[in-house]
Amino acid sequence: MNTAPSQRAGAAGSADAVAPPVRAADWYRRKRTREAMLVACFLLPSLMIFFLYRILPLGWNVILSFEYWSPLKAARFAGLDNYAEMFLEDDVFWQALTNTLIFILASPIAILLALAVALAVNSDLKGAAIYRTIIFLSYPLMSVAVGIVWRWLYDERGGFINFVLRGTGLIKEPIPFLQSFGWALPSVILADIWQVVGFYMIILLTGLQSIPQHLYEAARIDGAPASARFLRITLPMLRPSLFICAVIGILNSFTAFDLVYVMTGGGPAHATELLVTHIYNMGFGETRFDYAAALTVVQFTLLVILTFLANRAVGGNAGSVESA
Amino acid sequence: MRRRSHILRHLVMALVCALMLIPFYWVAKTAVTNENIYAYPPRILPLKPHLYNFVDVWYLIPFARYFANSVIVSLIAVAGNIVFNAAAGYALTKNFAGKRIVVLLFLSCMLIPFQATIIPAYLVSARLGVLNSYLGLALPLLSTIVCIFVFKAAFEAIPASLQQAARIDGLGELRILFRIMLPLAKPAIATNIILSFIWSWNAFLWPLIITRDVTMQTLPLGLARFLAYVEDTTGALYAFVCMVLLPGIIVFLMAQKEFIRGLTSGATKG
Repeated sequence: MNTAPSQRAGAAGSADAVAPPVRAADWYRRKRTREAMLVACFLLPSLMIFFLYRILPLGWNVILSFEYWSPLKAARFAGLDNYAEMFLEDDVFWQALTNTLIFILASPIAILLALAVALAVNSDLKGAAIYRTIIFLSYPLMSVAVGIVWRWLYDERGGFINFVLRGTGLIKEPIPFLQSFGWALPSVILADIWQVVGFYMIILLTGLQSIPQHLYEAARIDGAPASARFLRITLPMLRPSLFICAVIGILNSFTAFDLVYVMTGGGPAHATELLVTHIYNMGFGETRFDYAAALTVVQFTLLVILTFLANRAVGGNAGSVESA
Repeated sequence: MRRRSHILRHLVMALVCALMLIPFYWVAKTAVTNENIYAYPPRILPLKPHLYNFVDVWYLIPFARYFANSVIVSLIAVAGNIVFNAAAGYALTKNFAGKRIVVLLFLSCMLIPFQATIIPAYLVSARLGVLNSYLGLALPLLSTIVCIFVFKAAFEAIPASLQQAARIDGLGELRILFRIMLPLAKPAIATNIILSFIWSWNAFLWPLIITRDVTMQTLPLGLARFLAYVEDTTGALYAFVCMVLLPGIIVFLMAQKEFIRGLTSGATKG
């Protein structure tokens, strides 16, 4: 696209380079504007995409949330009406908010599991690479397909889980996991943990491998027991990785849309409704874009607060890791 | 004592791996089962395995169409990712005014999940007139922040003397990028391809929102549609699931290293 201008500019630049030194400052300035142009051109496509599909939507959500707006009507200022309706009248919102929080609070369980696996795989165990591959395998797969797989596992008659529970005599009657009000949410969470646990493991493994070995050697020479080495070296050094896991867990309450949509559709009676499925239903089921935008603002605020809290919980220095 | 602890660890890991693999087995088994899949107790091994269900999928739904759509969208997304991310990553290796702001902007964009943008993103796409089109499906996926930083790191590892030599030879920046930097950053390209492919291949919510015709739908949508139509009464559904999962598994196993490198560099380096 911009081959010709930049090349011409390049030729001019090298011609100037052999010119008398009187014009050095001038040449330097032109070189810098040329480079600035180039940088701008190279960044432009990516910046455009992020502007259109990340930054602009963020602001637009906020504006929409204070309006009465639908695709066919002109916008009207609504003040806090959307928020008032959400907090005072919308029972599904409260249910979805509770479920979303439960979903997020379940992620530490998955992270702990992943930590245990990562510690086992990180050592000099033979075949560790194979274990790692198998455990990670579920993560990059299509969530919609994973949802159908788990639907089938939970099935009353053909499902593996009821088959095992009945076969071992733990239960007499099959449990309709995804159709029961109490079981549906834990069931979806379990499927979600199955899918993301490998990702947590990979993050924690990378963290474990970046811990300098001499710390452990020094501790061993000082006679520190294994438990002390874990608590005083491994855990503190893993803090940045644990923070990343926590952020993934928080973001996961958004990305779990696919699983919930396929496994339960938010049912039964909104037992598995998450904020993100509620947003989808309001926006594209009932075409209430303004109200859905207000819901999005609330969920995004929740995400920012939780990320901030997670950052504080690991010692507040995670920002420095991100920019490292 | 050391041996014993190793054996114990192998046992635990084998159990964990079994838990991870059972769902795959159960679905594959159901896909090749001939008899009523609701019979209780279900068989652990299929009685007479066969592939009729896979043939059924071809008759029940336009599988080829979904597959082609998925491939086209993924190809657009992968191509866009390589060119745009490489350009942006190369720009970030330079020093320029406002670089800190751009980097900060990218990092904060990483915290905005796509799901939180669906309402305005739909409106943006409507204004751009790309609803229900391949371009519209691929547009939000055309550039990925993680991959920009993967490229930046790869370019920074290339000796600066090579760039200077090329510049003295009169090469423009675009040529330096495509003839010199990119061929030396092959691992970064591989990471880009695999990440952007898997993300666009699996994308569900966005296609769900912006496609209207069956002819534009991708595989995940086809799967959800099929589920809605036939419920889970037939083994064909699970054959379909296998046909969708298999390409993903193969691609992942082939490029596992690049995939993990991309994810972890994104996670640890921002």
